Amino acid sequence: MEFNINDIDQIIESTGRETSAVIPILQAIQKKYHYLPEVALKRVCAITPITPAQIIGVASFYSQFRLQPVGKHMIRVCIGTACHVKGAGLVYDAICRELDLTEGKDTDASGTFTVEKVSCLGCCTIAPVVQIDGITYGHVSPDQAGKLLEDFKNQLGKSKDKTFRTALGREIEGEIRIGLGSCCVASGSEAIRQAVEETVESNSLNIKLKNVGCVGMCHQVPLVEVVPVNGDPILYTQVKPGDVRQIIEQHFSPTGFWKKLSVKAFNLINTIQDDRTWDGVDRYSSSIREKEVSSFLGRQISIATEYRGALNPLDINEYKKNGGFEALKKCLTGTSPAEVIREITESGLRGRGGGGFPTGVKWEMVSRQKSDIKYVICNGDEGDPGAFMDRMLLESYPYRVLEGMLIAGYATGAGEGFFYIRAEYPLAVQRIREAIRQCAEAGYLGQNILGSSFNFRIRLYEGAGAFVCGEETALIASIEGRRGFPTLRPPFPAEQGLWGAPTVVNNTETLAMVSYIMRHGATEFNRMGTNASKGTKVFALAGKIARGGLIEVPMGITIREIVEEIGGGIPNGHQFKAIQIGGPSGGCIPASLADTPVGFETMTELGAMMGSGGLVVLDDTDCMVDMARYFLSFTQKESCGKCTFCRIGTRRMLDILERLCQGKGKTSDLDELEKLAEWTRKGSLCGLGRTAPNPVLTTLRYFRDEYEAHIQGHCPTGKCADLIHYTINDNCIGCTLCAQKCPTEAIRFKPHEKHEIEQEKCIKCDTCRLICPVDAIDKF
Amino acid sequence: MINLTIDHQPIEVEPGTTLMEAAGMLGIIIPSMCHNGDLPHFASCMICVVKDERNGKMIPSCSIRAEEGMQIITGDEEVREARKTALDLLLSDHVGDCEAPCQRACPAHMDIPLMNRHLAAGEFRQAYDVVIRDIALPSVLGRICPAPCEGACRRKSIDEPVAICLLKRIAGDHHLQENLPAESIIPTHKLNKNIAIIGSGPYGLSAAWYLQQAGFQCTIFDQNEQPGGALRYSVSREILPEVVLNQEIDRIRKSGVIFEMNTFIGEEEVDNLRKQYDAMMSPLDKAPKMAIRAAALGKEAAKRTHQELSGEIITGERRLFNSHFGRLEPEEAPEYLKESVQDARLAPSGGMTLGFSREEAMAEAARCLHCDCRKPNTCKLRLYADEYGAEQRRFAGPSRKLVRKNFQHEIVVYEPEKCIKCGICIRITEKYREELGLTFIGRGFDVVVGIPFDQSLEQGLTKTALEAADACPTGALSRKKEKK
Repeated sequence: MEFNINDIDQIIESTGRETSAVIPILQAIQKKYHYLPEVALKRVCAITPITPAQIIGVASFYSQFRLQPVGKHMIRVCIGTACHVKGAGLVYDAICRELDLTEGKDTDASGTFTVEKVSCLGCCTIAPVVQIDGITYGHVSPDQAGKLLEDFKNQLGKSKDKTFRTALGREIEGEIRIGLGSCCVASGSEAIRQAVEETVESNSLNIKLKNVGCVGMCHQVPLVEVVPVNGDPILYTQVKPGDVRQIIEQHFSPTGFWKKLSVKAFNLINTIQDDRTWDGVDRYSSSIREKEVSSFLGRQISIATEYRGALNPLDINEYKKNGGFEALKKCLTGTSPAEVIREITESGLRGRGGGGFPTGVKWEMVSRQKSDIKYVICNGDEGDPGAFMDRMLLESYPYRVLEGMLIAGYATGAGEGFFYIRAEYPLAVQRIREAIRQCAEAGYLGQNILGSSFNFRIRLYEGAGAFVCGEETALIASIEGRRGFPTLRPPFPAEQGLWGAPTVVNNTETLAMVSYIMRHGATEFNRMGTNASKGTKVFALAGKIARGGLIEVPMGITIREIVEEIGGGIPNGHQFKAIQIGGPSGGCIPASLADTPVGFETMTELGAMMGSGGLVVLDDTDCMVDMARYFLSFTQKESCGKCTFCRIGTRRMLDILERLCQGKGKTSDLDELEKLAEWTRKGSLCGLGRTAPNPVLTTLRYFRDEYEAHIQGHCPTGKCADLIHYTINDNCIGCTLCAQKCPTEAIRFKPHEKHEIEQEKCIKCDTCRLICPVDAIDKF
Repeated sequence: MINLTIDHQPIEVEPGTTLMEAAGMLGIIIPSMCHNGDLPHFASCMICVVKDERNGKMIPSCSIRAEEGMQIITGDEEVREARKTALDLLLSDHVGDCEAPCQRACPAHMDIPLMNRHLAAGEFRQAYDVVIRDIALPSVLGRICPAPCEGACRRKSIDEPVAICLLKRIAGDHHLQENLPAESIIPTHKLNKNIAIIGSGPYGLSAAWYLQQAGFQCTIFDQNEQPGGALRYSVSREILPEVVLNQEIDRIRKSGVIFEMNTFIGEEEVDNLRKQYDAMMSPLDKAPKMAIRAAALGKEAAKRTHQELSGEIITGERRLFNSHFGRLEPEEAPEYLKESVQDARLAPSGGMTLGFSREEAMAEAARCLHCDCRKPNTCKLRLYADEYGAEQRRFAGPSRKLVRKNFQHEIVVYEPEKCIKCGICIRITEKYREELGLTFIGRGFDVVVGIPFDQSLEQGLTKTALEAADACPTGALSRKKEKK
């Protein structure tokens, strides 16, 4: 796009020109040009107080920003934990091969596509995930790279914004709810919505179509729920656009449609689900067909996710009908701020972002500060690969989080709140923005809220891609328009936070629990959980699990209950090996300790960490050295680079782990790795560095034998490409499928004869093994 | 007021006092690199960590303020290990030579690059002063040394090594011809102690010269008629003309060393000498093959004898920590040539017997790549690495960063691969409101300090260059010309 100086001036007109506006300015420029042209940045410096040093410092810090031009379309390959364990690395390699990208290049020769790895798109249950511009593809396998690009090209230019029209003038016969969480949207719920629209319209049916937030059953997306006026609601899972007509006709066809309702829900689902590929990429294996939804939802308790699957995320009246804003009303009419804080303290609510700091105590610290200006920040910078709790809560329950923030503001005496949300979560950003608008209209924001003397306003701030900004001091630096360098505490943000004012920084999930506690009282909340960990915890359950998704469970539930009862165990006959909890700050807990109850202390005792709620299940095909390497490569990339131990320490740990995964490890490496991990933990400045060694330390603690095997040049699970090779066994029927798919023509073949793999040509992309119909490919 | 203890000593400080300041009040100096006077705290290098004994936490003392009841330990085993580990990590990412490879290879550890720079500038007298600090017989060795330094010279991987040996020779010869003033030969202060040295070969001559220079009175005993030992009796006169050897020994004699020739020292005589002299140096049991090595050992023995007679701990010549990296990569050659000349190695036009002319020497010396650091004696990274016994190879990565040298600025040089990312220079440019200044670019392990919009260093540092160079704790940013 041609550069136009007026564009920049206009952008600044809308963002403001103060130095703290630098990130929104850069985001707007990038939106316009897809990268940050130098002339544009120079223009910004010329007409604002923003200095060249600041703008370059900031633009080069956050991974969202690109200083080089990019292709017309962005391909984002998610390498979050769930995607990683399901082979995202191979998908990335396959796409690069497909685009003919040479080492070090990320844009194809024609300038059409730019490929990048992103740390997590938060669609862990349909892993591996690839996003091209606005379209998200789930369950992508390496051999589909070509189809993927082809499909995308076909989609180009097709209009996707049909609006649903109801057949007016007739009684509503029922309601169709379509899940519009990111997982659902990514798996095609938008296309289903269109199909529903078309069917309803063509049959002149009188049905209400309702968009609902995340149901949590992300492993079964897209979800469609049919709610007849009388009769039980029926949930359809993994719906394909082609199924829609059939579903609707089952229920609403003019002749005898109620009759068909006697058919049991899951029989119906089984008749409708199929394993056809859709759009050429979306593949489901028949083994994950759902039998029972009740065991998935049965052990769960909804507090942060109250009314899941029933609330239209943005319908403020519906939220109100279901107890919304009652807690706020209660606070503003007859509950003093001190009483609110007492209630929260008594509830035992602890920060859900990972640290587990008692929320009441934090609020108390801020309320004690004598300052005219105080802030509340909702930390929605969910950067953990393999975690998507905040995204779901923001997308599905925007008003609940907002109400929590208002109560926090009231309790601490703050007059302004900030939502800090990852820019990678556009839907969450959009919903919160709309929720803020609606709340302002309805009088829940602004001056004299609900007739009280409480004033509060909220601003939304998009994080630009830096995991370290989950650390509260770095988050504040980012809002102030600086590089996300954490600063030493004390002073704590509660004393000197945003722009030097006392600031409460609460995690999204923490705030989502506040209204429940205020409505039902502290006792109702703290009767759940363990001594030290009260209430419920939301987890993003993903990885090698039959039923992944967003779950909310009482603290104290055991790991085994989560994995086996809620998650339905490990699919495809594999063994449960470990869970990875807490993402890059957490650790791996072996299956042998699965009867441990979940809580802040119990997880820490095991060397892991509750973290924000990422819970990735690993099976016997997952290599623990590779897991440690994976997390270290993440933290190493996300280190802000300020302090020595984190900047270089994480890198050197990664060097050792890479050496091990390549079979070049030495016996002394394990001791050195342990020592370095220990010093990085003790010597780093902020939580990122201090917890970065956890994945290494826990795997060393519980799976030392695997490390030792790698030193002997052997990867027990066959995950580490440098330590394995592929061969063809006698099962081979000579079908040539593998040879056709092999990207490097490494398979010598004669039809109907046993094929052979040329080791020098093999790039270990696993394609042949996946495609072989008779399991004739061995890897060891 | 706040009460705490530092190394078990109670102290009361004003609120807001940092732990480092509080320790300073007790005379406890805590090492630091990223902290600089009144610039805002940054807390990045982590060399200043101390331990709070109450909870075992390691905290950066430059930025953490004293709190009531703290029990700070500034230098126990664990704190020292923390600092050493931080230094090991910083060094694993520090690509640069403290001392040039040639100097490290030289048995006498002569500061060759500095000699070269003086020669290139036509400063022959200063070049001689550099040589004579470590080599007592420059003219002699300039003719017979097999020059291990040239084997290590980085220029070798570009074309051919600098002709160091011939350059050393001209530095020495120049003063054989020019007659040095007496005050540069005869020591000014006397220590009133006598030392007997047996043997007048390169070992004995070298030891005698340095001890005499230090103020001792040396007497050399040799059974031969003339001094020089192997230099006189085993080296061909064609290679080492007698006149050169004599002139060089004359200088040593002129410095006050007494030569007792034709004197055989047997076991009995040794006992006598021991009684008569404050110290006695026997010849080496086994003479080294290289004369330079013998001369170097003589210098080393002189140092030890000096320490012994002064009642000091005998350590010998103390070598500081040396950062170094492997071979020069082909991509790095142009970086090093920025400070040198493209010209090929010169051979003396008058033949080896005559050696270089002044002009030739100046031209050849200009081929030196200035591999040595500009801050070998002030670099904090080096000094602390030395103090804490840091190991550069401990955390060596699979590959190293490539050396880059930025000479865009008239008065300072920037070598990013020596940077420890402490940001002091950035904060200085902020403080003085440089229009462009410097900034961190990128993040994490790959973060670099750079100039916004890829402008030149000259534009980044319009008024703060010297202040930034002097404040830089390493040789990353340094003055182009050594501070006089």
